Parts: sequence; C-alpha cells; structure tokens
Amino acid sequence: MPEISKLAELRKLLLGMERAMGLQELSSAERDVFYAASDIAEFEEKIQTTGLMNHTLVTDISRPTFFRALKSLVEKGYLSHCSKRTRGLYVLNRRDG
Amino acid sequence: MADPSHSVPQLLIETLAASGVYLLAFFVTILVISPVQHSFFSEFPSRASLLFLPHGVRVLAAWLLGWRSTVALLPGILIGSVFVYGGDAFGPGQLVASTIALTVGPATFHALALAGYDIFPRPDRSPCWACVMATGVAISILNGVLINAALGSGPVDYFAFLIGDVSGLFFLMLILMFVFRSMRLRDS
Repeated sequence: MPEISKLAELRKLLLGMERAMGLQELSSAERDVFYAASDIAEFEEKIQTTGLMNHTLVTDISRPTFFRALKSLVEKGYLSHCSKRTRGLYVLNRRDG
Repeated sequence: MADPSHSVPQLLIETLAASGVYLLAFFVTILVISPVQHSFFSEFPSRASLLFLPHGVRVLAAWLLGWRSTVALLPGILIGSVFVYGGDAFGPGQLVASTIALTVGPATFHALALAGYDIFPRPDRSPCWACVMATGVAISILNGVLINAALGSGPVDYFAFLIGDVSGLFFLMLILMFVFRSMRLRDS
C-alpha cells in the first residue's frame, strides 16, 4: 500500500472516530447522495455511479457537486470503491466504525 | 512484479515518518506531560507517565505497517531509550524491553488476523477505530506482562503503564482526529 494510501487509511480510521463522537457533519448534497446510495443498496450490493446519478434524490444536484459529494463520502468512509481497478462501482459501508 | 510499497525507499520513508512521530510523541510526554503530572501527583508512587502518547504511535504504526513497523520504529525507540537510560539502553534488560515494545504490536494484529479478526486497513472497507483501540489495550496488557516479567517491576508500575498506554492511545487518536478535521474544514 503506497504512503498516500496509508495516510488515507489513517484519515478514514479517525473519521470513523469523529462520526462515532457525533462530530462529523454532511453537506445537504452529501446527505442526498448518501440517502440515494442507501436506497439503491437495499436492492443491489454494488452501487453504480450512473444509477446513483439517476436517483430522484440527486437529479437536482449539478454534476460537479454530485461528484464532489461522492468523493467526499468515500473520503469520509460512508462509501468505498468496490476495488481499485473498477471505477464507478461503490459499496455502502457498515456504520459501526 | 514486486510490490512498490515493499521497496527500500518506501521503508526509509516509513522509518523517517514513524520514528519521527514516535520521537515527537516521546519528547512531548517526557518533557511536558510527565513534569506536569509529577507536579500535580507528587505522591504517586510510580514514575510512569499516565498519558504515554508513544504507545499510540506504536499501535497505529503496527496497524498501518504490520511487521514493517518493527523496522520503522526501531530508530525512534532506541533514541528514546538512550535519552532516558543513557548507556544502559543497550543493557540486556532494556534491549529486551525495546524488543517487546517493537514486536508485540504487529504480532497482536497478525495473530488476530490469523484468528479470523483481520482489522488491517484495506481500501475496500471502512476501518474500525474501536477495534484498533481495543487491540491497543490488549497490546498494552501484553507489553506490561512481558516487560514486567523481563524487568521485574512491581504491580503499581504495571497499572500505571496500562493507564498511560490506554490514555496515550486515545488522546493521540483524538489529537489526530482534530488535526485532520481542521485540515478538512479549512480545505472545504
């Protein structure tokens, strides 16, 4: 795992702590994308970016804001990439971290 | 193809980062926290720090690097030991204590992984901070038992080390959490 990934993993670990302490806040766009992802995850294990973009909760969000929110949700540990090689596929993380 | 994360330059970077952070935590503990503690709790029978931040660095390094943390932390732990014990740092007792401090962390994380509780970081899942914290407590207990067995220190020291390690890990994680949080809020 490269150095930058280790730093990212450390940040993810401490974001979990921040979330458990109730200190982490989500923007309205991040909340909408997260709720949309949770909705899709009820039926599908892997969440496709295209499916997420077409969800009714996020259709009003502009494309750049959507991708910023998606990136932020990954950084905050709410969503994860399915694998390093497969872009555009995400899984919802369990909320026990 | 060889994994670039296992290269020698990578190990040098890890060593500089891990030992550098370890020494920073060590000197803050020895030069700032301990004198304050001793001025407030002068009757406390042990000289052990009740807030030992370097334990947090050892646990987080072992979680992030696995066995590589033994190499990455070696210079930091040796320099810290020489600062406190001088030439005695290379005596058999202190060398055993340093070896225990270096190896118990990664050994515990790897033993847990072998037992089916793999909490090492992976890109496809969220790390569990409470699991890392709990493992840090287990590492402290194992460290204390082994070091006390090797050096023959008393039960007061054992409990003082345990309190210092656990509070040190928690406060280091708390400090890092607020540092990362302030960086994120500043960037947004």
